[in-house]
Amino acid sequence: MKILVIEDDKTVGEYVRRGLDEAGYHVDLVGDGDEGLKRASGRGGNYDIMVLDLRLPKLSGIEVLRTLRDRGVGLPVLVLTAQDSVDFKVQALRMGADDYVTKPFAFEELLARVEALGRRPKAIAPPTLKVNGLALDTGSREVMRDGKRIELTPKEYAVLEYLMRHQGRVMSRTLITEYAWDYHFDPGTNIVDVVITRLRKKIDHAKEPKLIHTVRGVGYVVRA
Amino acid sequence: MESIRGRLTVWYATALILSIAVFAVVLYVARRSATYQDLDRRIQSEANLIAGILAESYRARGVLVEKDTAGRPVLISEVAAVLEVVPDYLLVTSQDGQLLFGSPDARSLGFVQFEQLTALANTPNGLASASAPRRYQMPNGPTLHYVNRPVPEAGGQIGTILAGADTRSAELQVAQLVTTILIAFLVGIVPAVLVGRWIAGRALEPVDSMITEIREITDGRSLHRRLPVPMEKDELARLAATLNQMWTRLERSFVALRRFTADASHELKTPLTVVRAGVERAITRPDMPPETLAALEETLQEVNRMTELLDSLLTLARADEGRAELHREPVDLREIVEEAGETGELLAEHAGVGMEIRLPPDPVVVSVDRSRLRQLALNLIENAVKYTPRGGQVSVELGNNDGRAVFTVADTGIGIAPGDLPHVFDRFWRADSARTRTSERAGTGLGLAICKWIAEAHGGTIDVQSRPGRGTTFTVGLPHG
Repeated sequence: MKILVIEDDKTVGEYVRRGLDEAGYHVDLVGDGDEGLKRASGRGGNYDIMVLDLRLPKLSGIEVLRTLRDRGVGLPVLVLTAQDSVDFKVQALRMGADDYVTKPFAFEELLARVEALGRRPKAIAPPTLKVNGLALDTGSREVMRDGKRIELTPKEYAVLEYLMRHQGRVMSRTLITEYAWDYHFDPGTNIVDVVITRLRKKIDHAKEPKLIHTVRGVGYVVRA
Repeated sequence: MESIRGRLTVWYATALILSIAVFAVVLYVARRSATYQDLDRRIQSEANLIAGILAESYRARGVLVEKDTAGRPVLISEVAAVLEVVPDYLLVTSQDGQLLFGSPDARSLGFVQFEQLTALANTPNGLASASAPRRYQMPNGPTLHYVNRPVPEAGGQIGTILAGADTRSAELQVAQLVTTILIAFLVGIVPAVLVGRWIAGRALEPVDSMITEIREITDGRSLHRRLPVPMEKDELARLAATLNQMWTRLERSFVALRRFTADASHELKTPLTVVRAGVERAITRPDMPPETLAALEETLQEVNRMTELLDSLLTLARADEGRAELHREPVDLREIVEEAGETGELLAEHAGVGMEIRLPPDPVVVSVDRSRLRQLALNLIENAVKYTPRGGQVSVELGNNDGRAVFTVADTGIGIAPGDLPHVFDRFWRADSARTRTSERAGTGLGLAICKWIAEAHGGTIDVQSRPGRGTTFTVGLPHG
């Protein structure tokens, strides 16, 4: 799948490019609206998704979007915006954007939205995640340990899914919170600790080996 | 008086009453003196006429006085018969002061008064013609104006004649005038005030329509609109022009503010995005030492904190401008409260606080901005947990009351001092930091200000009740539809 990223800030652009690249996408990065419009409507393009920053030199993101839609290009567009006002977002959606992410964004959120726009199965996440006897079905949202079903609340499920998707890697409390709480909630307390305590009771209690591990001052990791 | 119209009417009526009163007084004074002049002129011409008659009779007969049956001198009967028909008071005396004739009006006076009249007649005026009219108030009798006139043409037979008139008739005329004025005044004032009120209303009509238009313009979205300026360059036209100038300046500063908030959010958020991108890349790398990860996690928290603060500031800036918009859709508030409640339970468990959530069995559907309502519910629940000591209780309830959806968050926490209560919705207000749990990070101080804005932007209300040491209850009411 080919993605065109139009972002004038080099650091952010490069970060998005590399992240999407690691997720298995083919990514082209351009730095201004003029160039982006040319690439998107030109023949050699054949992009599947466009990631568009709204504030660009030469041609603004809104103008790129409008011109694109005027030319009848139906390419799905994910807008990046620093504005979190509703009318701005509504304007972008009305101009033909398919979705938006507000800066500063968590990469997981961008990735989730790109995946949704690409309408393809999550390439990096197989339907069932497994770690040493613990199985999590991302389709049915069922969790089993050693063949026994475990009932989880939505937040417990989200935290566990996130850790299992990144098994073996230390995930920070902030990243976990953002994922489980829709990216836009900052409770200012370590609420994740409570969820982890509950998860441990349900998953690791009286079982060996322990699967959920604490990394002091950082967060948690699921590993065998 | 509430309205200019009412005040104008009062002023108008007062001015009308005053001018009529002045007019009445002037008319009364003028009319009174004219009446007295008439009276004086009448008695003077009467005196002259009688003197003429007496002189004429003397020339024709040579004798004017005869003796009556009692031997007293009187006017001869032919002349007396002529004078008998003269109205008012008329006395004729001889040169040695003997009364020769009294008119019927004079004779009808009491004895004492008649004597006084005779004395007046015998007061010589030292002139050869009629004296200036004099005024005399009889004790216990009428007031009269009179003149004295010697009659030298009568060959010494006649001393003086006195002609006088009672002022009662003059006073009566003036009194009638006053009555007429009073009646006219009472009959005229009511319609005059009504007409005045109508005129004031008509004159102020353009002001009323101006007020309506101003209200429409000032709601924040129509600042580009201007008042129509009437062709006549009257006060209203000048007012409209001045208001228009003011709006032009307001609009300019609003545009500047809007550009500033847009610029600020872009200029501040882009570097935050860059920082975040770097931190996130590093923190998800598999082989980082734990100390580095801990530092990165702290940085990430700070980035989020700044983002939240920035978003709150921008939201409130736009709200001030009247431009923060809501994306409303019908939502069952039970979903939102349930979701926020789950998070609240986690927070409460962490804080050792009990949490109870009561939802009604039927849907509570209100047209709201889902993400804003979620923010409102979470903020209130989070606050309640934060300010409730271990072992306390937080109750969250959703219900209907009086056609409104009511969302209540009550805690048994530290409460708010009465002096602080009016300020809890102020920006950057914070409870005494010593009383919060030290393990927790302070909030931005904008949470409740935003809650208030969210509730009011939905046409709802937010109220707080609190007793120090007993707990605090926040109540949000949202209108249906």
